[in-house]
Amino acid sequence: MGGVDVGESGGKKRATNSDINMIPFIDLLMVTIAFLLITAVWVTNSRINADAQVPGPPDPSKELEPTTPEKVLNLHIYESEFALEWKAGSTVVSEVRVPKTPVELGSGRDATVRYPDLAKKIQSEWEQQGGHRDPSDKKIDQCVLHTDNKAPFKEIVAVLDALYTPRRDIKFADGSTKQVPVFNMTFSVR
Amino acid sequence: MDRPPTKHHNPHAHVIHQPGKRLLHAVPLRFVWNKVVGHGRRGVGAALNLVSFIDFLVVTVIFLLMSFSASGEMGVDKNVKLPKAENVEDIIDAPMVAVNGNQVLVDGTLAGSTRAIEELGRMQKVDELFAILKNKRELWKTVQPNKPFPGVCILQVDKDVPALVVKSVFQTAAFAGYPNVSFMVSKLPKSN
Repeated sequence: MGGVDVGESGGKKRATNSDINMIPFIDLLMVTIAFLLITAVWVTNSRINADAQVPGPPDPSKELEPTTPEKVLNLHIYESEFALEWKAGSTVVSEVRVPKTPVELGSGRDATVRYPDLAKKIQSEWEQQGGHRDPSDKKIDQCVLHTDNKAPFKEIVAVLDALYTPRRDIKFADGSTKQVPVFNMTFSVR
Repeated sequence: MDRPPTKHHNPHAHVIHQPGKRLLHAVPLRFVWNKVVGHGRRGVGAALNLVSFIDFLVVTVIFLLMSFSASGEMGVDKNVKLPKAENVEDIIDAPMVAVNGNQVLVDGTLAGSTRAIEELGRMQKVDELFAILKNKRELWKTVQPNKPFPGVCILQVDKDVPALVVKSVFQTAAFAGYPNVSFMVSKLPKSN
């Protein structure tokens, strides 16, 4: 037991020494640990962002000004390769092919596929062709994902993971900066 | 004038004592005391030092309290096996659409069949899902009329579901007023 010794008491006085019973304290700690262990969250889920880019209704009070279409990266997933195609409207600006070199993490049914070569190529393509690279520019380059209807979702996520690997700083008005992915993705609906 | 302190006077003498046994002072029963201390023999009672044990418990409690999340785990449909990804963002509060091998569910309510989409073989609007999400959006706007609608929903899609189903659900959510669609994934540790 924990105790407080404040010296001998003389004569018939009640002893001033006292033992503190530590058992309830230990019980309390054990119950707290049990509660925290039972309610602990061991699996953390996260999200990968996408944007359907549905245009809002036009504002009838404003006059529409013709603008040149921005360059958009079209990412095609084929059987044995990827195609990175920069398009401005319907005009193809450039096109590169990247062979599929999957890197498997884990084994069996829980195996996860990664495409690090694709991520590197997307980074270099954005550095050459990306339209929004300045930290003060808050817009993000767009990527349209073209995939076969039969491709499993894990394949799409592996490609999205590669697409979101390159990051850049965005500077806000208060001087703070935030790291964001250089692309925003949507699906091709054809 | 105060008297100078004598050579042997110690002002803390009543507080500071020689180290030694402090336990079992307060055992009130004489026969228990005799049993514990032993009659000239070695006592059967052993003093257990609880300080290190309590230290360990306190450190464990502090660690668990620091890592405690009051929001808890986001409900994931038990039939959905999420894919894994590295470059992810934190989960936000938004309607959850679960897509497993057979069904589409919104917050646990059935909202369509993935088999029907696969059998049709082309992208289509999932009508039940559209109606449920539209109702949710209108309810949100009624409850919070002065705030702009964020239009965010989270898809929990099984890793083996074909892209056709994913695209159909994605487009349906967008048409129902949720253009900012996020895919829920399990977080992988960064490889470099």
